[in-house]
Amino acid sequence: MILSSNIDDIVSRLGDTSAGLSGETISSLFVVGILILLSFYIAIRAHFQDPLKKPKGILLLAEIGVNFFDGLVESMMGRRYRGFGGVIMGVACYLFIAFIWGLTGLPAPVTNLATPLSLGLFTFVLIHANAIRFNKFKYFKRFVDPIPLFLPINLISMWAPLLSLTLRLLGNALAGWTLLTLLYGGIGSIGDVVIRFSETQSMHVGSFIAPFITPVLHAYFDLFSGLIQTTVFLFLTMIFVANEGPEDDEMIEELSVKGGN
Amino acid sequence: MTSAMAAAVAILAVMPSALGEALVCAKTVEGMSRNPEMYSKLRTSMILACALVETTAIYALLVAILILFVGGK
Repeated sequence: MILSSNIDDIVSRLGDTSAGLSGETISSLFVVGILILLSFYIAIRAHFQDPLKKPKGILLLAEIGVNFFDGLVESMMGRRYRGFGGVIMGVACYLFIAFIWGLTGLPAPVTNLATPLSLGLFTFVLIHANAIRFNKFKYFKRFVDPIPLFLPINLISMWAPLLSLTLRLLGNALAGWTLLTLLYGGIGSIGDVVIRFSETQSMHVGSFIAPFITPVLHAYFDLFSGLIQTTVFLFLTMIFVANEGPEDDEMIEELSVKGGN
Repeated sequence: MTSAMAAAVAILAVMPSALGEALVCAKTVEGMSRNPEMYSKLRTSMILACALVETTAIYALLVAILILFVGGK
């Protein structure tokens, strides 16, 4: 009963705004705070670093990360989008830490609808801002494509990427969380049957078996699933955004024509 | 009771998703055995494709959870 009311609670808070800041939102603020402090620390270290010396420690790690994401963005989206490396890296760091935040025992930010929805809206805005940037007024042509009769359908299908990105993240995190909560509850009950101090014990004493069983599942549902979903989210973001602009080949042709002249 | 039945029907959507994932893996292994040099590249694409195929199942799971704990009231 404790368990079901627990899940009840977290699910009923999915769309509820009256209860004030939820635990997940506070966790999310913690993640953001940690990332901001870390980035300031790295920036200061990088500022005072002698460029002729080899970087060490966290600076080296940061350089590897920035190089990796710049290369990834350039190979996935084309050279026109080279500036997107920072955005993608920021979202990647936030999303991955938000996923594995559940390992600390605090509420994981991704299990609240607000976090995936914010990230989905971020991608959504990025897609449409890019479409307007590259297509100017031709942007509105997509709503009456191929004939004006399709306007309502196009208006609805416009929201499909947002919905799919949001629900993918939320579903994954919530599924892992639910499964592990059920497992912890089950293990506690089984342990209580084996070890019983009194008839009316309120604590799950039997939970001591849990550390022998759950780490594997934590590794799968928090670490592996979090990594995969972060990758999928970023790849989809990059592909959706890069789809809106012109093809990369055209630009290379333009450059070569200019170079030829 | 009704909501439990509804959740059971909703979760049926994981069946084709599992089949799709099996297809992805089978084809990837086939490709790997034909062209072992592509192993690491194929593995990355396979994991990505699996995650994408899994999405349908995750939607079903989410719908089932919502029906069980929110829709039943």
